Amino acid sequence: MFTSAILAQVILNGVCLSAIYVLVALGFTLLFGIMKIVNFAHGAFAMLGGYALYYLYAEFRLPYPAAILLASVGVAACALVLEPLVFRWFYQKMFQSMIGLLGLNMAIVFTGVIVFDVYERSIPPVFSGVVRLGPLIAPTDRLLIVGIAAAVLAAFWAFMTRTRYGLAMRAAAQDVETAETQGIDTRVIYLLALFISIFMAALAGGIYAQTYALSPFMGDRPLMVAFIVVILGGMGSIPGAALGGILFGFAESFLSTFYGSAVSSFVSFGVVIALLIVRPWGLLGTPE
Amino acid sequence: MTASIMRKMDIPVPKVALSSATGEGRGGWRLSALLVLAVFLVGWPLLLPNPFFLTVGTLIALNAIGAASLHLIIRTGHISLAHAAFVGVGAYACVLSVMTLGLPYWVGLLMGAGASGSLALIIGPIVLRLTGKYFVLVTFLLGEIIRMVFVEWVPVTGGSNGIFGIPTAHPIVSTPHGQYYFVLAIAALCIGLCACILSSQIGRAMDAMREAEQVAECAGVPVIRLKVTIFVLACGLAGVQGGLLAHFLRYIDPTAFGWVESLNLVVMNVIGGMFHLAGPLIGTVFLVAFPEFLRGYVELQRVIFGISIIVVMAALPGGMVEIGARTRDIIAGARGRKR
Repeated sequence: MFTSAILAQVILNGVCLSAIYVLVALGFTLLFGIMKIVNFAHGAFAMLGGYALYYLYAEFRLPYPAAILLASVGVAACALVLEPLVFRWFYQKMFQSMIGLLGLNMAIVFTGVIVFDVYERSIPPVFSGVVRLGPLIAPTDRLLIVGIAAAVLAAFWAFMTRTRYGLAMRAAAQDVETAETQGIDTRVIYLLALFISIFMAALAGGIYAQTYALSPFMGDRPLMVAFIVVILGGMGSIPGAALGGILFGFAESFLSTFYGSAVSSFVSFGVVIALLIVRPWGLLGTPE
Repeated sequence: MTASIMRKMDIPVPKVALSSATGEGRGGWRLSALLVLAVFLVGWPLLLPNPFFLTVGTLIALNAIGAASLHLIIRTGHISLAHAAFVGVGAYACVLSVMTLGLPYWVGLLMGAGASGSLALIIGPIVLRLTGKYFVLVTFLLGEIIRMVFVEWVPVTGGSNGIFGIPTAHPIVSTPHGQYYFVLAIAALCIGLCACILSSQIGRAMDAMREAEQVAECAGVPVIRLKVTIFVLACGLAGVQGGLLAHFLRYIDPTAFGWVESLNLVVMNVIGGMFHLAGPLIGTVFLVAFPEFLRGYVELQRVIFGISIIVVMAALPGGMVEIGARTRDIIAGARGRKR
């Protein structure tokens, strides 16, 4: 059962799942850390990202890199339009934001049902071949997805650690009021964080739609996973979300391959509950 | 006592909660309002015997039990996202004891309440030590685990297909009218119990505990024991809702008890207002009746509903109960100006 070929396959699946989970969870935790909003509409934006990619790539036949970039930027721009209408009212209000953004989720998803209809679609693969690396057989499409996710994550990491705006964002994530007293314009930081976070969610949605299927309700699963991953890593902690995403992606890949998806869910949920009881602030969070 | 502690500790006191604790002066007014409400609730089906309205009314009364019992937990300072799962435990326990064990319905209902109460008694002492968002997260996962048990334990729960052909509670209550009055009576009992607890010494201890846990403990409130007691009681009431729901719908499946449903119960509380028992009741009416009356346009009604949740939360962060307080302020302001 544990042959090297299967193991390699499981690892590839784990990498792919981790990439999607990390992309969604990073945005989720960024919004929570900086603005104290629990973005229950995160999955809806991932869904919009999936449909944007579908229309740009499969319908309008744009080249793939341009399509996925334009799709994600477009969805993030939509979020910026929604900022003064919805998000601005809920900054620094945790419970109100939870409920209000749940309303936003409902509005977006069912607008999606009206506009796109409920049936599932699929995005045609970019490359149909496979790559053979020793015992490992990998669809080229999967490798492309992992490459894109890795590039975006690397760019995010460089932005957060190497630029002044990244520094300002990390400062705001730690303590908004202190950051303000140091002359950081939090309105700009909020907009920037929202843009980056929704950009990553939309990108993850596009990738998810390409690997699995596209429907107005596809955002539920990424949202739930993001929620759990962020708990696992520690609410508001950016490295925590990355670590949690990787752990969760690999655990799911291993457990569901060898023991079935029910066992996988029971074990991962049980572990997270146990962790929360012993160490409620998560793996890399800080206790209050 | 509570209020003075809160003031000394310089903690923002929720306006509505305070007025309910010290509002003896408005007692007569309140009693007559309650009487009018009771007459309305009992009377309208006689004037308007429409089966659809009766079904909506029954659903509102059912959900009011869940929302009001969740309100008890919220008043101790915890927001539980596992409440619908406890409703589910009650529903399955009740149905199984009626259908497989052949027990009478009343015993089944008690078994349902007992099952979810005992589960809460096992889980409560562990999870209630967590506070704030951590409790929210843990109960979210717990609720999902309970729902997955419903899905996976196929021989007992029927898996994703659920359980069909549940008998009605009693021939008398099988008509829409009988159904409505039966559920209304039990809902009134449950909500009355919640109101009694909240207006008693225990309710004040709960408010004190929520606003300043350590101070309350120093003042002699047995914090953990009180929290567990309230949690067990609230989950037991949720179990009652489950038993009633199963025999009203005559069909149960795991999708009715997931985290979306739990969140719905929380939304009822937050939309209505979290610091007064009237909040969850207003929220229930809004959340159950609003979608039912826009049935013709299912997708569009969800969109409108989502937008209205955003608007309510953005405009009234304290929930719809605030409308009352605000109009009172405006009236008082107008009077002040006249003088």
